[in-house]
Amino acid sequence: MWVYIVRRLLQSIIVVLGVTLITFVALHMGGDPTYLYVSERVSAEEIQATRVKLGFDKPLPVQYLVYLEGLVQGDLGESLTYKTPALGVVMERFPATIELTVFAMVIAIVFAIPFGVIAALKRGTAIDGGIMTIAMLGQSMPSFWLGIMLILTVGLGLGWLPISGHVALLEPLLKGNLRTFVASVPGAVPYLIMPAFTIAFFSLSRNARLVRSSMLEVLSQDFVRTARAKGLPEGAVILGHALRTAWLPFVTMIGLEFGSLLSGVVVVETIFSWPGVGRLVFNAINQRDIPLVQAAVITFSLVFILLNLAVDLVYARLDPRIRLT
Amino acid sequence: MKILGLAAIGTALLFGTAHAQRPGPDTLVVAQTTDPDSLDPAQIRSRDASNIAQHVFATLYEVDREGNLSPYLAESYAISDSGTEISFKLRSGLTCDDGSKLSAQDVAYSFQRAADPANRFTGNTPGFVLDAVHYKGVRVDDDLNVTILTNEYSPIAVGLLAETFIHCKAPYEKMTLARAAQTMVGSGPYRFVRWDRNDKVVLERVEGFKLRPAPFKTIVWRDIPEASTRATELLAGNVDIITNLSPDQIGRVNASAAAKSATVPGTRRIFVGFNQKPEFAKTLGGAAIQKVEVRHALQYAVDVPTICANLLQSPCRRATGLVNPPNDNKSLTPTPYDPAMAEKLLDEAGYKRGKDGIRFSLTLQGPRDRYINDTNIELAIGQYLSDIGVETKVEPMEFASTYSPLIRLHNAGPLFLLGSGGGTWSALYDMADIVAPNGGTNYTEWNDPEWFDGWKKINASRDPVAQKAIIDNMQRVFYERGPWLLLYFQPNYYAVSTKLDWAPRSDEMIYLYDAKRK
Repeated sequence: MWVYIVRRLLQSIIVVLGVTLITFVALHMGGDPTYLYVSERVSAEEIQATRVKLGFDKPLPVQYLVYLEGLVQGDLGESLTYKTPALGVVMERFPATIELTVFAMVIAIVFAIPFGVIAALKRGTAIDGGIMTIAMLGQSMPSFWLGIMLILTVGLGLGWLPISGHVALLEPLLKGNLRTFVASVPGAVPYLIMPAFTIAFFSLSRNARLVRSSMLEVLSQDFVRTARAKGLPEGAVILGHALRTAWLPFVTMIGLEFGSLLSGVVVVETIFSWPGVGRLVFNAINQRDIPLVQAAVITFSLVFILLNLAVDLVYARLDPRIRLT
Repeated sequence: MKILGLAAIGTALLFGTAHAQRPGPDTLVVAQTTDPDSLDPAQIRSRDASNIAQHVFATLYEVDREGNLSPYLAESYAISDSGTEISFKLRSGLTCDDGSKLSAQDVAYSFQRAADPANRFTGNTPGFVLDAVHYKGVRVDDDLNVTILTNEYSPIAVGLLAETFIHCKAPYEKMTLARAAQTMVGSGPYRFVRWDRNDKVVLERVEGFKLRPAPFKTIVWRDIPEASTRATELLAGNVDIITNLSPDQIGRVNASAAAKSATVPGTRRIFVGFNQKPEFAKTLGGAAIQKVEVRHALQYAVDVPTICANLLQSPCRRATGLVNPPNDNKSLTPTPYDPAMAEKLLDEAGYKRGKDGIRFSLTLQGPRDRYINDTNIELAIGQYLSDIGVETKVEPMEFASTYSPLIRLHNAGPLFLLGSGGGTWSALYDMADIVAPNGGTNYTEWNDPEWFDGWKKINASRDPVAQKAIIDNMQRVFYERGPWLLLYFQPNYYAVSTKLDWAPRSDEMIYLYDAKRK
């Protein structure tokens, strides 16, 4: 098991290095970043002095190594917009994004399982057809369009949910204020529903299809037939035997799920005025705030990599064959 | 039955939450497109952040709706004979939000703090105002009198200094820069209550502030970046005013009973620059636009009112120069759309159509999604020019990473579309884009001797009447020989709740002191 963990950790470090390299090169392809640090009225001499001061006169490989050195020390530079450490700005917005992503993940998992199971059990019926049609829609509908439609129908037309905005939920908890956290829940949940559903709908649909196909495969296996032959109630057969086995491929997806949901927040946070990292990245790209974009991308990648690592370890624990491959 | 009951309670709770967002009668909610980067008065630079700050911080003077400078914290000013000392006399009895007395020392501190290089501020005051007035220092004459010292005379110094937010020394000296970026201790009619980043800023009326009426107890500035979400919040009644109404939403808003659109001609000047750099003269087209007669001919080729009507959804008057009304030269008339005249003038200039129908070729570069419908406007201009035989290749570009560096280095073009912010209070403020042949904002590197002589004459004169005559002549020079294909002043699009009485200003400033509930 330890050999497996070390091997996965080394792979993760290579992935992080790859992400930093790609981000660094991509953001420097846009031209000389010195102009982002000087006003329009400065002279050519002042521009050159700033270039030297910031190290932009050095070759790109040297700049990259300097950047990596800072990264190891937790220094990702100062945001051009906010004039404070870029990592601090990202971490300040991170709780709002985590709230949204976790809520979306709960929707994507909790609703996918019953829909997938029901579709499998009712295979070939109108119920199966209906669920799979909705799942197909969910996978083909762009999130920005779905978000705007929800705002127009549920928010404006029916007036059931707030159109945009945010009530902080995780922030009081991180500050150790449990009472405020509990008190915030009823106010925060209505704001979470539409944006979280917008992000989750694609994953929910994919997961429901995955659970359905996995269940169909398991339901035809001998051990399920044996369980039924033993006279077990149908609920126990489905939940206790079939779903437990069908669950395995789904567990693998959960780690990837979080990453795909995280990547979906950029557009959704903008549409719903959600004060998270996605919107921060969107604005930072528009303003070419390179340190902030780098900090956000690296934070996202680290979260993604760590989650995948955790899922792989759990999976290796559940299925020992994984460690040997 | 239990499930139905729970569902009903849940729906009622959700319904209640949605409606709980609606502002009360004494609360005004404004939705803008961006959140402030900082609340530090010396670091504020965006229009959206300034709109919030100007309700918290007072200024020495202010620009009114008609573009006149009027006293605010100061009751008068005087300029020395040399023009390098501007003295302000403050009103008596002024205080800041925290109750501390506001005196000349605090005014001096506001400038000194902004100018201190150790603070590394890049806001409007340190990044623009102090440079533009040639700031040297500040002198406290007594409790109510303060003098700004400059290195040279600037005829627009008072108006520029009126952009500086005045704050008290006592609270700001106690704060770290990081803390000052997150809070405001002001000198104006509203005090800062709360800032939920990327969500809202809440202000509350300062009871007893005498220099301005403050009609609402609470003002909430919401940050809603997405245009359709902003409009929907307005239609749902959760917001009273929205900025940057997308032109495609105008019909939707006006069809509702909840809100109406309000469009005003803005002060941002949209133009196509004719780059005069010698490098561009190496091509036939680049050389052609360095000739006055060609530039003059091309003015007739573009149908600006049609562009406004179709691509901006708003009627507009074609610009006659770089100066905003009401300070523009009223004797100049907008060039009409007359492609036949454009062709005739190009023929006379020696650029006849070739066998392929082309006179010469040009490239028109421009930003993408920087100004309203900019890419389509660039394409339309390219087509108008191509129609008269000036084959025009249009290159829309991403603004921050690609276009902005080209503009800054004066390398865009030879034709380039740009918008430049202006004002209503002074012609010189608008003309200051082109103060020197190699000036940073003279993006076309235009070098007309009569224009630049005009600047010398203005700086040598202290007589407003004589200055006005010089300014009018300079505007004529610009109209006849200028380096811009003159287009329009970009309209500002707002939408306002039908329950609110409020009119927008053309200078993009959101001034809420005269707003009232119907």
